[in-house]
Amino acid sequence: MSSKPAAADLVVLNGRVYTVDSARSWASAFAVRGGRIIAVGDEAAVKPLIGEGTRVLDLDGRMAMPGIVDVHTHMMMGGQAALFELRISNMERRDSILQKVRAAAEKTPEGKWIIGAQWGSDLIATVNTEESLRLLDEASLGRPVLLRDDTYHNRWVNTAAMKLAGVTSANTDPEQGSFGRDPKTGALTGLMIESASGMIERAIVSSGHYTDEMDRAAMAHSIATLNEHGVTAFLDAAAMQPVMGALKGLDDRGELTAWASAAMPVTEPSFMFGIAGEELFALRETFRSAHVRPDFTKVFLDGVPGARTAAFHEPYTPDPVFGCCFRGTTLASVPELVRWVGRCEKLGLSVKIHCAGDAAVTQALDAIDVVRSFNGPTKLTHHIAHASYIAPADIRRFAELGVAADLSPFIWYPTAFLEGHKQTMGVERATRFWPNRELLAAGTLMAGGSDWPVIPNPDPWNGMEGLVTRQNPSGDFAGESLWPEQALDIATVLEIFTINSARVMGLDGTIGSLEIGKSADFIVLERNVLEVPSDEIADTKVLSTWFEGRKVYERG
Amino acid sequence: MSGVKAAKIPVTVLTGFLGSGKTTLLNQLLRRPAMAGAAVIVNEFGEVGLDHLLIEASEEQFTLLDNGCVCCTVRGDLVETLKELERRSREGETPPLRRVVIETTGLADPAPILHTLIAEPDLASRFRVGGVVTTADAVNGLGTLERHAEAAKQVAVADHLLVTKTDLASPETVEALVRRLDALAPTASRGIASNGEADFAALDALAENEAGKRERLAAWLEKAVALAGHGHDHAGHECGPDCDHDHDHSHHHHAHDHGIRSYSFVIDEPVEWASFARWLDYVAMLKGEDMLRMKGLVCRADDPERPMVLHGVQHVFHPPVRLDAWPSADHRTRLVFIVRGIARETIEKTLVKFAGIAAGSIDPPIRSAA
Repeated sequence: MSSKPAAADLVVLNGRVYTVDSARSWASAFAVRGGRIIAVGDEAAVKPLIGEGTRVLDLDGRMAMPGIVDVHTHMMMGGQAALFELRISNMERRDSILQKVRAAAEKTPEGKWIIGAQWGSDLIATVNTEESLRLLDEASLGRPVLLRDDTYHNRWVNTAAMKLAGVTSANTDPEQGSFGRDPKTGALTGLMIESASGMIERAIVSSGHYTDEMDRAAMAHSIATLNEHGVTAFLDAAAMQPVMGALKGLDDRGELTAWASAAMPVTEPSFMFGIAGEELFALRETFRSAHVRPDFTKVFLDGVPGARTAAFHEPYTPDPVFGCCFRGTTLASVPELVRWVGRCEKLGLSVKIHCAGDAAVTQALDAIDVVRSFNGPTKLTHHIAHASYIAPADIRRFAELGVAADLSPFIWYPTAFLEGHKQTMGVERATRFWPNRELLAAGTLMAGGSDWPVIPNPDPWNGMEGLVTRQNPSGDFAGESLWPEQALDIATVLEIFTINSARVMGLDGTIGSLEIGKSADFIVLERNVLEVPSDEIADTKVLSTWFEGRKVYERG
Repeated sequence: MSGVKAAKIPVTVLTGFLGSGKTTLLNQLLRRPAMAGAAVIVNEFGEVGLDHLLIEASEEQFTLLDNGCVCCTVRGDLVETLKELERRSREGETPPLRRVVIETTGLADPAPILHTLIAEPDLASRFRVGGVVTTADAVNGLGTLERHAEAAKQVAVADHLLVTKTDLASPETVEALVRRLDALAPTASRGIASNGEADFAALDALAENEAGKRERLAAWLEKAVALAGHGHDHAGHECGPDCDHDHDHSHHHHAHDHGIRSYSFVIDEPVEWASFARWLDYVAMLKGEDMLRMKGLVCRADDPERPMVLHGVQHVFHPPVRLDAWPSADHRTRLVFIVRGIARETIEKTLVKFAGIAAGSIDPPIRSAA
């Protein structure tokens, strides 16, 4: 018997293969067997592995690289938004939104909900009037309407929706939320801030609007959408039971075409409903499968700057409702956070902490500092999402404490979000947003996330261009840059979206680079993103996406 | 102030190694006149058959607290049993209840019982912990400690250690056991039971009220700090060439302590109570499971003449009590820890970082002069 090696299932040849393996960044060929990479190098290295049944893929000089890893998505919502909701751009103004609602109402049977997303949170003041509610009521023709804003933290609903949810002017504000009231008249406006949103969303859930079938379809659609953009691994950042059930169900049927980490909320979020915390953690192993890893928890420590619900060290701009000196509040104290992080570490769970304001970031770092000081280092990587407004003194603490910066969503450039922040924080503070260069210089482990559908499109190439240019790739806000000194180089950005993101998900032994033994998750691009002008990165098209050596997407 | 508030009923937990004479001791204890009005709760039907005393059988029923830690299980059955005993006494169905003794099974962890007494609001208002008594027999004690982590924990949480069957063992064996017990439980008092006759006065003292306890607090703390501080950090420490403590064996064989060790801190400067209390919270939250016992006297910066008494069992702390005066001339903060696998450095480092205590005011461990 000769020692001829067993044939590969797939051999990829003649490519410009960017491996993101620091030991060998470039190769021209690699081979795959059983879904794993068995050789990386040049043609000579893989030729002997070509056997009778081997599929040979000639890249014809095109670039290939590891599949993209997205550390912050809301999968079910992404699919639901795409399949079942009225699409509203956050650039649209009130009139345009009302027109869309009217058109939808004409096609919606009486009594059925109209659900839409995602209007710009810079419209909050516009929406928060009796007049706006009257116009929405007129446009909706009596159907209940719920429109989510671009932060997914707030809603604009009509009178029919409030009626179904039992919200009347007699209601007092719920904890950690409020009902919008016209600043002049004090009447309800249909604006639902933070937890108030949940009261309307619950009414939708209890009406049976979303069926299991819709959930499955939404999840499958979401995964197909990610694959289309070259994403082969993601972390669902608020994985409730239906999310994990859909993921596990798809994986059991061999239909899950990405690695899925799941972050189980420690308390019920304002935008998803069902069991959370210990009760949900207890189900963890029932959802684990070959590609589903329920190894994270999610803490929502504050809200969003545009709604003045993010917690800052310095006060928001004066406001008739919040007064002169409101700084926002965190939803948990340091000791409460210490308790959660400590408990999660004991359970072997990493914690992703939503921190939109700099005071929330400080508090999360303080809590992790306490846990680290008592428990010492751990293999678990905790995440601070969204690591965007950070007090200068906190920058170095990420690396010191081994905390990952979850850079999400893709708003590292001028957007409607930023315009909303300018209103509530003033221009100067609002634009000290995403100190990415400083985080990098301090040795921070940075990972990339879309927060889809908070941003309407999970296309990472948009995000990558924005990280490099700090300008809006869509052409909106032309000529404007957001804090350009914080720009990153494309090689760093590719690492952020591959190996770094794999590392923060605890999957860097399996994914994130093209190395022998790792999963054969790769993408073929129509351009070399390392060589194109930086303002063309967002135009990158994924020609094909491969998951465990199987083609799961091909550009038509 | 009303002086008629009913005194809390002391509950003494009697625990001990299998075959260490727990039941014999209990039978003797109950025959004493001082035990009139005492009720006994046993974990299982045993040989204690005294008709004139109320004996309750208590099933093993566990209710998990929300943090899910096994050491924090509250004994739902115990809660019901104690409440029922108190009700019957209050309503005159039984003679007035003056004392309760709970006898545990051989290898039971006494911590959940203590948690039940401290943390269950219905009980905490009517009952108080009247001490943990652990029996260790001189004949098999060392071996039992060696083999069973549970036994080491029973010793570690004890207030009073009773060495039994000393008449059946050689003086050397007794001495070796006592040395091991000193290392595991430096804060506990000691008693010897020979021929089944124990020093019952010491047991009664445990059930005394707080005022009575205060008298002995200074002496107790001094002994505890000295014992815990002066190198009896047996388990898991590195013995250097100048290592001077006694070894019971000729080898550095520490596995028998199951990672249980004790150490103490003396803090020269008064402490900011708010920071210190927050630090205590963190200790309980993050290290509670392995903090078998913690006791201390704390000098508050805002009230230095009236020290706070600390007493914790794993996650659960008694609400700190403020004394009217220091029990001795020594007004320094003193903390004694009995832990399982928590490095001394972790406590020291976090005291500095989170309790606002200057590193320089924490005294290094007192080295044995001998």
